[in-house]
Amino acid sequence: MQHLVRAPDGLQQPPVLRGFEHIRRYWDRANHTFAAKILPGEFYVTRSDEAVITALGSCVSACIRDRVSGIGGMNHFMLPEVAGGASDDAVCTSTAARYGSFAMEQLINEIIKAGGRRENLEVKLAGGGRVIANMTADIGGKNIRFAEEYLHNEGLEISGSCLGGTSPRRVVYFPATGKVRVKKLGGQAVANEERVYQDRISHQKIEGDVELF
Amino acid sequence: MATILAVDDSNSMRQMVSFTLKQAGHDVTEAADGVEALELAKKSSFNLVISDVNMPKMDGLTLIKQLRTLPSYKFTPLLMLTTESGSDKKQEGKAAGATGWIVKPFNPDQLLSTVNRVLG
Repeated sequence: MQHLVRAPDGLQQPPVLRGFEHIRRYWDRANHTFAAKILPGEFYVTRSDEAVITALGSCVSACIRDRVSGIGGMNHFMLPEVAGGASDDAVCTSTAARYGSFAMEQLINEIIKAGGRRENLEVKLAGGGRVIANMTADIGGKNIRFAEEYLHNEGLEISGSCLGGTSPRRVVYFPATGKVRVKKLGGQAVANEERVYQDRISHQKIEGDVELF
Repeated sequence: MATILAVDDSNSMRQMVSFTLKQAGHDVTEAADGVEALELAKKSSFNLVISDVNMPKMDGLTLIKQLRTLPSYKFTPLLMLTTESGSDKKQEGKAAGATGWIVKPFNPDQLLSTVNRVLG
């Protein structure tokens, strides 16, 4: 397991920002970098020189950073599929739109909280493959369209993308430089993981807490 | 029906909040940051302000503090709608004079029931 390999002597793992302590971080020998690995539904933001890594099937990841300060991060999400949701889909407050907007906004807000500036944001998109077997609907395509429309609506330009196709992919993002490395993956592991995630988000209530003072 | 000022720097968020409130018959005015919101609030008197926290130019907590210094907004319900879920931020909001704190993801039914409660 390359994940368990210790970092070369003298190299210290960069500090983790508050709120991201649960994310798995390790020395990634293949890319010779410290890395944070995010799972479906997670996101990660860093101010340090470390990579953010994930494996995408039909999910999408937005790789966003402040191109001046290098503060940035990545999310990993797909839209929930709600039973009978087709009529609901057209509305801007559909379950899918609310979940997707939250995934995007959370990432952007944390980057800004960490010191990034909205006017400096550089955005890249990856994922949205057609990888889940026995699926008639193009779930990946739907996720891509959502992310593109959201960014357009927010006035954020997409400066690079690696979208669609039929293979799962591993994405390695370096917020410090903006570089994205994409590698095609085989097997069913990514699709299986996504199916569990899809099932989870499609049955959960999309809402936060309310507190009246 | 109430007149409501909805403040958020995200277009998508403003659209969702506006759409939800208008569907319920409210009269909604939108602002993209605290500065714009404060100006609008001074010009007319809203029954309720719903604001995001993290925004450029003037953040939501500063907006709330500023509004509370104005005689016409001393008792107006001011709700925060934010991705911030930490208890320290909530305490800051309470201290600034917020009436309540709603954590995103946004849920239309939840927003409407909270709005109805604070409008009494």
